[in-house]
Amino acid sequence: MARSSHRNGEVNPLAVTLNPPPAPDPELSHLGRVDGHLKVSGQACYTGDVKLPGMLHAEAVRSPYPHARILAVHTAAAAAMPGVHAVVTGADIPYGPYGRSVWDTPALAREVVRYVGERVVAVVADTPAAARAAAAVVEVEYEPLPAVLEPAAALAPGAPGVHAQPWRYKNAAVTPADPANLQSRQVWTGGGDVETALAASHRVFTHTFHTQTRHQGYLEPHICVARTADDGIHIWAAHKAPYSLRARIADWSGTTPNQVHIHPIFIGGDFGGKGDFGDIPLVVCLAQRTGRAVRMRTRYSEDLMASNPRHPAAVTMRLGVDAHHRITAVDVQALLDGGAYAGYKPLPTVNLAGVADGVRSYRIPAVRVESTIAYTHTVPRGHMRAPGSVQSVFAMERMLDMVARELGLDPVQFRADNMLQDGDSDALGAHWLEVRSAPVLAAVRRALAESTPLPPTPPGAPEGGDWVTGTGLALYSRHTHTGEMEVALQPGADGTVAVWVGFPDQGGGQFTMARNVVSESLGLPADAVQVLQSDTDGLATDSGAGGSRVTVTGSEALTLACGKLRRRMQETLGDTWVTPATLAAFADTTGGERVSAYLNYTDHEHVTSFCAQAARVWVDRSTGQVEVADVISALDVANVVNPASHMAQIMGGIVAGYGDALLEDLIIEDGKVTAANLGDYKLPSVRDLPPLPVIIIGGSKGIGRQNIKAIGELTNVAVPAAIANAVAAAVGVAADRIPLSAETLFAALHPEEAGE
Amino acid sequence: MNGSENATSLTCQTVSLVVNGTPVTREIPAGQLLVDFLRDELNLTGSKEACGVGVCGLCTVLLDGVAVSSCLLPAACAESGSVWTIEGAAALWNRSSLLPADAPNPALFREVQKAFLECEGMQCGICTSGQVMGAYALLAENPQPNAEEIRHHLAGNLCRCTGYESILSAVKLAAERWSDRK
Repeated sequence: MARSSHRNGEVNPLAVTLNPPPAPDPELSHLGRVDGHLKVSGQACYTGDVKLPGMLHAEAVRSPYPHARILAVHTAAAAAMPGVHAVVTGADIPYGPYGRSVWDTPALAREVVRYVGERVVAVVADTPAAARAAAAVVEVEYEPLPAVLEPAAALAPGAPGVHAQPWRYKNAAVTPADPANLQSRQVWTGGGDVETALAASHRVFTHTFHTQTRHQGYLEPHICVARTADDGIHIWAAHKAPYSLRARIADWSGTTPNQVHIHPIFIGGDFGGKGDFGDIPLVVCLAQRTGRAVRMRTRYSEDLMASNPRHPAAVTMRLGVDAHHRITAVDVQALLDGGAYAGYKPLPTVNLAGVADGVRSYRIPAVRVESTIAYTHTVPRGHMRAPGSVQSVFAMERMLDMVARELGLDPVQFRADNMLQDGDSDALGAHWLEVRSAPVLAAVRRALAESTPLPPTPPGAPEGGDWVTGTGLALYSRHTHTGEMEVALQPGADGTVAVWVGFPDQGGGQFTMARNVVSESLGLPADAVQVLQSDTDGLATDSGAGGSRVTVTGSEALTLACGKLRRRMQETLGDTWVTPATLAAFADTTGGERVSAYLNYTDHEHVTSFCAQAARVWVDRSTGQVEVADVISALDVANVVNPASHMAQIMGGIVAGYGDALLEDLIIEDGKVTAANLGDYKLPSVRDLPPLPVIIIGGSKGIGRQNIKAIGELTNVAVPAAIANAVAAAVGVAADRIPLSAETLFAALHPEEAGE
Repeated sequence: MNGSENATSLTCQTVSLVVNGTPVTREIPAGQLLVDFLRDELNLTGSKEACGVGVCGLCTVLLDGVAVSSCLLPAACAESGSVWTIEGAAALWNRSSLLPADAPNPALFREVQKAFLECEGMQCGICTSGQVMGAYALLAENPQPNAEEIRHHLAGNLCRCTGYESILSAVKLAAERWSDRK
């Protein structure tokens, strides 16, 4: 890999080229996204494309048991294989467990294994094939132990402990007084006492909803390269938060952050799954042990089996209404499976903030939400696009439809009568600058009213089906998160300006956002702005590409930096007029000065975005098959920095929600992930999709000088509830579990035949 | 899961084929997949590797003019064949010498690339090489596909980011422009 270096010597993934570097393509490089021409030419460099001199390859030997004692590991045969440099066991790892918040996750299992797929031994060899061949002859002797595979069983008295003393882990959120397998419990309350309010209610409804384990579905499996050098450890990884990775690797390995260098690189999809550490701590150890560059590439089957998929949940709702059909109280009890390790959750609560989201779109005088996450002997769970939100919104939005039907009400009108209105604080006490629930809901209702009625059967349906149609709607509101970052602008002698950012672009278009903001703020043509991702030595900090916070935080930080640059130009040149000539003069006068801006974005208005989605479906009562006719989405947005990327976030979210509702299920049987390839774990393809019209309700008040509301985690959340509500409306089943497979619907429709 | 059936034999074999118009002969591990041959032996890393079971389409290359999943094909099966990867196709515009007879049409390939850029038919980009190769292969064979033909043809190229709308728009735009030129 040849690298083009830059004026301050740092490396830029936007300019990392393959060997031999291609001739620049003038007809393409100015089109579209800043990284687009590299991506349509095969020149964008991802971690899997990194080749370092003398690089070795690592392969993991993984546990076949959900819970077992490791009696012995026989490594001699593997160590004697040709090309093998090291065979490493848990006992060889010089550091303790690791984690994003709680440090409970070992780089390699020690003494016991806690899930099928856990790494037990790592083999390092000259080639991937040699590593794989040697891994195949490692023998591990196990004594299988009783496993707990469900959170309810795990929390029952007397259940085998997944960890002996989980409260002793650094940053643990539990105490010795808690149930043995508790990862964390978080409670949110708002308004009056829920039990009192439920007791005083005209009617109270109760139901439990289930959501599945789901893989993020990024198409680049986890991969990492590390090497040691005189100045510490260097890491290239499919990881979306380089600065927090640096801080944690330094802390964990007993060094200082300036001894850890995270290199910029493209990320092949994230959806929450690339904030985890994956194999990175292990590969750091392997690089230190061998003194060589080491690469570990997870095969997709391994990634499905043993990365950090979404927490499955059982969410029990109790909802009270008064005689006028106004909601009086909601109690939410969510029980989530956290799997064998809690270290993949980044928040200090070791819980998922989105579990509180389900109740936020409605006026509820008394609310209590309790989220309990248990250890089990299954794959560790982590963050996925709007973590916790899908689970709670599915339960709340299905519940509202069930209650409306029990009360003989139109479910959409029931929502309209109970939803948050402009000027309200939400049920948990948050106050928003604006609440745009009404125009968003009205837009979807209007679109539904104007839609052509569905024909009785879906187009192309075979003869003999027993098709019925249904319509369902769901709401979601998501507040915009902000973060912390430093950015820098550096005019060059060629009259362009380099924009240094610390956040990666995992696909959301953050680099293009940076170009557009700087080009507009400085009044420069787009091709005079060059966006460069710094390595972690180049800037002070960055929160990373998570929580849909990069555009809102980055656009503000970049706007501040542009203002500072104008002031510096005034001081040095006596002129704030920004042109290629004055930029070149500034670079010349200052010797290439970099003007940076640091922003810890806490001082801002609090904004939330509303999204209403309606699905129309056909259901074949004879088979349980669901065909979605369309999903109509209406959402409120503020300023849009790059319309194409913004729309792609919207569409990608809706399609991800479609997969969540109908296709994707990371099935775990006897503790083992059995949907272990992309043939069995089915992502939506272009053929699956119905029309997905989108209605943008513009004119919102956003945050900051660029007037921004987040978009990345808005449109995926309510789709499963909308589709399930449509299915329930069509065939009258509970539809209380996603995905809505034909098998489960058939069983619900034909209980007499189920099990045959 | 690390049973001997997964062990890769370390014996070697020789393959000879033409890659991006250049004859290549290499000693490779027996059974090496075409995608690994391209990426590891030839350093042509534009073709990506993901699912390993021929489902996702990230590794799509042209073999004797046909779009194939290079993760399913041992390199030895391409013996004496002609492979075009995205790097080779993308460099044709700048090639001054006579093009090999089986080279992709540079003008059509360029239309596909431009349409993907203008419609932003990508986000993270890990699937984009495969999408572009797949779209080119469709239009080379069927310059005026209808919407259903496009969807059918691209069903083997997964994308988790875009929701496909912008990719469909890109293929339609490239087809329209190509028809206008012809």
